[in-house]
This record gives sequence, structure tokens and C-alpha cells, in this order.
Amino acid sequence: MKVFRDTQNSQDRTNREGLKGWLNPTHYGWERLSYWLMRLTGLFLLVYFVGHVYETSNLVGGVNAWNSMLELTQTTWGHIFLILVIGTSTFHSINGIRLIFAETARGLGKPGRPDYPYEAVSLNNIQRSGIWVALILAAAAMLYGSSILFGGE
Amino acid sequence: MVRNIQDAKRGFMRESTVMKIHYATGLAALFTVAVHIMMRLIMPFSMSLEYENVVANYQNVLYALLLESILVLISIHGFNGLRVMLLELRQDAMWEKFVFLFTLAAMLVVIGYGTRTIIIVNGLNL
Repeated sequence: MKVFRDTQNSQDRTNREGLKGWLNPTHYGWERLSYWLMRLTGLFLLVYFVGHVYETSNLVGGVNAWNSMLELTQTTWGHIFLILVIGTSTFHSINGIRLIFAETARGLGKPGRPDYPYEAVSLNNIQRSGIWVALILAAAAMLYGSSILFGGE
Repeated sequence: MVRNIQDAKRGFMRESTVMKIHYATGLAALFTVAVHIMMRLIMPFSMSLEYENVVANYQNVLYALLLESILVLISIHGFNGLRVMLLELRQDAMWEKFVFLFTLAAMLVVIGYGTRTIIIVNGLNL
């Protein structure tokens, strides 16, 4: 046990690229891009959520406070920001469902003997199609959001 | 004295349990947020954001409960996600403990602040 802990501790302190490695979406294929987008959209949505909780607290200040806050958000840039929120939340949701399937080993394929060219069965078309579906639905949701926000309703 | 990650985790919830909560809160948030958005779309979007309309939403007990659920679910899911990301960047016992306490505190502050808004607008003045 002691040997295991020492080995793990030494691994903890080396072999890490930190933020630079985390921000690099290249060299690892679509799964890496999906990993990268999942984290970026998650961070963006967390910042938006905290801002939204603060924004809605203006209700406590009465109708004038609420309306002056709305004036800040009901602009072209405010709408573009909201469309980004719609797109990122759709991607994060659909890709999250894909990850829940992956975590519960659904759609990963059966394990087999590792033969040349050593392609992992878990990185298959079923998993990749989930990434594409998430991206396509995010684009569709953004288009629908644009039609509502810029449609003048 | 905490000597390594295993010792730091002792006494906390298992990571596999935390991730199950993460997925469950994510799925539950998906449905509750969908209802929240639909409430904005049952009338023209700009009209749904008028002060009287939003206050009427908050004063509906069921809708206030829905908002509180969204607040709690997304806070747990979001700040646990942040914790996971910060632990991917660096791993040692002190950092893990700091990240855990920081995300827990931030989560409680956001839940507390949002709950205050819901309670006051709902009419149950504190």
C-alpha cells in the first residue's frame, strides 16, 4: 500500500500541463473537442447562471429597478448573448446525455483483443454521432432562439 | 494532518456517488429549465418579461417551487462541475480540500441569494 501511495504521489506532481494542456483541443480527435466544449460551455453557463440569479434579484427593487436592468439586456448584444446561452446549454445537455450513456457503458461496443491498428472500440461511430447530434441541435436551437429574439414578438 | 488524496477524501462522499448526483441533477435541471423556458414562450417573449407578469409568476407557489428547484439543481450541478474541472488541473490534498470548500461555499451563497429573491418577491417578506 505504501509503495502504491508513493507512486501515486510522485505521479501527482509530474506529467501535467495544467491550464495549457486543458485548453488545447487538438491532436486527440472529436472526443477531445467534445471534452473541451463540454467544459467551456459548462463554465460559460455557470457564469451566466450566477449572473442570472443576480439579474433577477432586481425584482426586489421594484418596477423601476427591473425595467432599468431589462434595458441593459434587451439590446442587440444582449440578444446575441442569449442566443449563445441557448446554443451552449443545448450542446451541454445533449452531450451530457451522451456522457451518461458512455458512463453506463451503453453504445461503447464490446471489448476485444487489442490488434493493429489498435483502434479503441469505445471511440466508435455511435459515440461520435452523439457529438454531431449535440452540435446540430445546438445550431438548430440557436436559429429558433434568433427567430424569437429578433422576430419582434 | 492530511497526508495524501486518499486521506483527504476519507469522511467525504465517494466520488462515484458525487458523480451520480451530478448526472441526476443535470437531468432534473434539463426538465425543470425546459418548463421555465416554456413559461416565457406561452406569450410574446418581451411581454413575458414585464414586471407585473414576472412577479405574478413568482407569486404562484408552484412556479416559485420550480424556480427554487432550478436554483438548487443547477447550483449543485454547476459548482460540482467546476470542482471537477479544478481537480483536473492539479491534484494534491491541500488543493482538493480548498477546491471542495470553495465550491461548497460559493454554491451555498448562490442558493441563499436566489432563495432570498424568491421569498421576498413571493410576498413572504423576511
